[in-house]
Amino acid sequence: MPGFRRASRLFAALLATAAGAANAHAADIAFGQYLAGECVTCHRADGQDKGIPSIVGWPADQFLAVLKSYKDKDRPNVVMQTIAAKFSEDEMAALAAYYASQPAKK
Amino acid sequence: MIKLDRRAFIGGSATALGTLAFGAPTVLGQGKPRVVVIGGGAGGATAAKYIAKDASGIEVTLVEPAKQFITCFHSNLVLGGYKKMDAITHTYDRLASAYGIKLNHQAAVSIDRDRKQVKLADGSVLDYDRLVVSPGIDLKYDSVPGWGLAHEETMPHGWKAGRQTEVLKARLDAVPDGGVIVMIAPPNPYRCPPGPYERVSMMAHTLKAAGKSKAKIIILDPKDAFSKQGVFQEGWEKHYPGMVEWINAKIYDGIKSVDPKTNTVVTGFESYTNAALVNVIPAQMAGAIARDAGLANDSGFCPIDPASMKSAKDANIYVVGDACIPGDMPKSAFSANSQAKVAALMVRGELAKTPTFPARYTNTCWSLIETDDTIKVGGRYEAKDGKITAVETFVSKPGETAQVRKETSTENIGWYSGITADMFS
Repeated sequence: MPGFRRASRLFAALLATAAGAANAHAADIAFGQYLAGECVTCHRADGQDKGIPSIVGWPADQFLAVLKSYKDKDRPNVVMQTIAAKFSEDEMAALAAYYASQPAKK
Repeated sequence: MIKLDRRAFIGGSATALGTLAFGAPTVLGQGKPRVVVIGGGAGGATAAKYIAKDASGIEVTLVEPAKQFITCFHSNLVLGGYKKMDAITHTYDRLASAYGIKLNHQAAVSIDRDRKQVKLADGSVLDYDRLVVSPGIDLKYDSVPGWGLAHEETMPHGWKAGRQTEVLKARLDAVPDGGVIVMIAPPNPYRCPPGPYERVSMMAHTLKAAGKSKAKIIILDPKDAFSKQGVFQEGWEKHYPGMVEWINAKIYDGIKSVDPKTNTVVTGFESYTNAALVNVIPAQMAGAIARDAGLANDSGFCPIDPASMKSAKDANIYVVGDACIPGDMPKSAFSANSQAKVAALMVRGELAKTPTFPARYTNTCWSLIETDDTIKVGGRYEAKDGKITAVETFVSKPGETAQVRKETSTENIGWYSGITADMFS
């Protein structure tokens, strides 16, 4: 829904102007943390890879690109395709922001 | 498709964001709101953690008699020799130390819904503002004629992990070459739909690996079809030719009786005497505490509001995991974990006034057929048409490459590590 996205961007921009970019970013991260509840059933929250790759600490651009390629069914894993299918642009951005904010596995 | 957006999340109120980020919730009344969770499995442990985490301000008590939790998921891998019991055994320590959850290692004996209290085995009571009920299944010991609780050791079910897993494993390892295993499969609905068929695969793997390829496994199945049937049967033909025979009720015409003394199974068609092992997986129902509290319907399981996981019978109670009626979702650990997160979101919304979102659910079930050959089934689900409804589903296809099946095997191991970390750490 492009209208929603535009409104959301506008809202984010207003937030950024009014309260500083840091708050908008914090909101993204908080929303992403909530959404990540679904990811951590398989991708360990501590960033360890025990058979399913870590997604902790990925750069946001890369995270978004990979998630979108699952959503578009370009990357071949039916579990990830199914998970990604439902995410809106905003949700994917929030997830990317959250995971980028997490320190990569030491 | 339901789309959430960031505005809904941050725009609800400034307090909402503050709550999430800084843990300063609005509480009901003077004291902290209290949540009691009954059952420490994939549903209960997850619900307790997700209600308590990020300093939600909610006091969470987890009632679970066992100090260690042995996962039923991946217990088939113990049977197949791929895992040891200690690898599927977990403790609750982190739930207490990292999230402040109060652990009460007793059995919950009853729920007083009017007083909003849970009575424990020692006679004490716990008050709750919201209750999460996640007791898992009880076995119907009267569903197979001639078999009952007294015969668990002689004709093991292995459908609750722990002692039963070990009994079944020991019995399997003792099956001679040329011996016959009879599995009596359960009717729907039951815990872990692909479980019996993964188990058959693990039995066949164990026999074959021990050089006992003349042994045979007969599955007597009351169902006309089963989960991932095509790919399971393809796998059995490929890896275990002649070792597995699946017979449905149309052919065998019902189990007439079993005799644990002689390891005999009598059907309306054929009888099997002196079986080397009879694995009875009986019909199932919600754990007694849920049924005794009037949370179940005639099916023996508990109806829920698909938009929240709230009990259809009581607005102060949520039912998650195998005990609930999850619509199109299977009864699985993944489902329970997913349902528990929805319940936690809604409980926090009610008690800590944090924002809530439309419920979305996910499930995947992996099954190991033979080393490096794993299949999967799953989907995503939403509240629709009065139930949890599948929006998109997938299942492994026949003829997939060895590479795909090997990757799926790795994924299965990774998932186990992920979900158990999500539940217990």
